[in-house]
Amino acid sequence: MTAAVAAPARLTLRMTMNTWLLAINFAAVAMVLGLWWLATGRGWIAPIFLPSPGDVLDAARIKIANGNLLTDVLVSARRVFLGFALAATVSIPLGVVMGVWRPAKAIMDPFVSLLRPLPSITWIPLSILWLGIGELQKVAIVFMGSWIYILLYTYESTRRVDPLLLRAARNLGAGDGAVMWEVILPSALPGIISGLKVTLAISWSCVLTAEMIAAQNGLGALIWQAKDWGNLPLVLVGMLCISLTVLLADWLALRLERLLLPWERGRRG
Amino acid sequence: MAAILTARHVTKSYDTGRAGRVVAVQDLSLDIEEGEFVCLFGASGCGKSTMLGLFAGFIQPTSGEVALRNVPITGIEPRCGVVFQSYALFPWRTVRGNVEFGLKMQGVGRAARRVRAQEFIDLVKLTGFEDRYPIELSGGMQQRVTLARILAASPEVLLMDEPFAALDAMTRQVMQEELLRIHAGNHKTTVFITHSLDEALILSDRIVVMSARPGRIKAVVTNPLSRPRHVAMQITPDYLALKASLWQLVEAELAHQDETSQFVPSPAD
Ligand SMILES: Nc1ncnc2c1ncn2[C@@H]1O[C@H](COP(=O)(O)OP(=O)(O)OP(=O)(O)O)[C@@H](O)[C@H]1O
Ligand SMILES: [Mg+2]
Repeated sequence: MTAAVAAPARLTLRMTMNTWLLAINFAAVAMVLGLWWLATGRGWIAPIFLPSPGDVLDAARIKIANGNLLTDVLVSARRVFLGFALAATVSIPLGVVMGVWRPAKAIMDPFVSLLRPLPSITWIPLSILWLGIGELQKVAIVFMGSWIYILLYTYESTRRVDPLLLRAARNLGAGDGAVMWEVILPSALPGIISGLKVTLAISWSCVLTAEMIAAQNGLGALIWQAKDWGNLPLVLVGMLCISLTVLLADWLALRLERLLLPWERGRRG
Repeated sequence: MAAILTARHVTKSYDTGRAGRVVAVQDLSLDIEEGEFVCLFGASGCGKSTMLGLFAGFIQPTSGEVALRNVPITGIEPRCGVVFQSYALFPWRTVRGNVEFGLKMQGVGRAARRVRAQEFIDLVKLTGFEDRYPIELSGGMQQRVTLARILAASPEVLLMDEPFAALDAMTRQVMQEELLRIHAGNHKTTVFITHSLDEALILSDRIVVMSARPGRIKAVVTNPLSRPRHVAMQITPDYLALKASLWQLVEAELAHQDETSQFVPSPAD
């Protein structure tokens, strides 16, 4: 009886709590925007250091109207997607093999140790020399910045398979192949996917650096060129665009994760 | 009746590095008859799980031999199905998926698998929960799934390692009744580990009392309680007298326990 009464009460409480937190979110953003508007409108900060929200909106409107903004987003997204997909295609199988077969780990270890400390930006000189400054070079930079992370996440997730489940599977008659497909891969999958999510954000920062240094288009180039023209509002538009695009990509990744890992849904509540 | 599962002068010691060698089981011989329900009973650390691991083929004896139908067990033996204390369900498979696993490994087709699995899901009274994931079930329900999973694979022997130890007293009684009912139906040879005398008395045909460190057989008691049994008989005077006499045996053993005898220094020391 008490439980039946208490449950809806707690639910309402949680709902009001959530509404409250949402309200605080909005209030905080509104306050910062208001401060920004005030500071630039009253001349507390000169426009050459920080343009007003209105200027930024105008710059965005022009960029959207002539269709360039969407093109830049799509160009960068395509580079990220290709480099990231290539890295995943190479590193996931390699990481799994390293996890289950120690010689593979021994072969890869020295290369991973040497290459891991190198940020992707250090690959830019060589990649330009070898590949020019076209699409392939951007994709290569994304690839070089992403593959080791995917490899390490995959390796770790593969290693962390519960040995009890391996025993249980073999006790139920599973052979080597079945152990791989029915136990090792599904149990490593959540770890691999969360590794991919982390790496996706890294891939984005790789493409932006590559585009800032040598590119005609893409969000990185947009920001860099706007800076050269002294168009600060456009720089901010570019930065905002990057945030929104990466957020969107994260959101899509989360949807995909829910779809692929139905058994993890209960854990998240 | 012929022995289906045998241990001949089995000794198992573990090398624990600096701590020396731990003799978990010493010179243990045991015959388990076809259709028999045997309880291995003893204090914590006396080598019960080690014996079960030997029968399942998870570990190999240091000396001596374990055999199934006179054939030595040298690797993981799917004909000896194990029910683990910690369930060991595949979290990425639904109840049905878990119960179907053994059948899938045996190459049973999808439709036949489903029908067979349903039989055992019904048997352990989980009808209606087929599409749930293990994480969505209570401990008692998860242990039912483990039971259904192993029964569906139809091993020749059931090995159960304190399967109900993690359950609350009420659920444990219900599960004991279920197991009695299932055993009365299929007469499957069962080795059941417990350190509850009540559990051993209610379930078993024979109770093997093990001595602590190194594990040996202290006594083998044929259970005089007639079948069918019910948990309710645990308050009858006959039952209590039987339990009291068994306790004397166990207490005498505990009094003799010599803590220092468990470690034999390894040659490396
Ligand atoms: N893998 C291992 N390595 C080293 N020592 C081990 C190992 N497994 C078990 N032992 C030791 O062997 C002895 C017997 O262990 P075992 O797990 O068989 O006991 P048990 O009777 O099942 O105890 P419990 O009732 O607590 O489960 C213990 O002293 C334990 O410390
Ligand atoms: Mg044990």
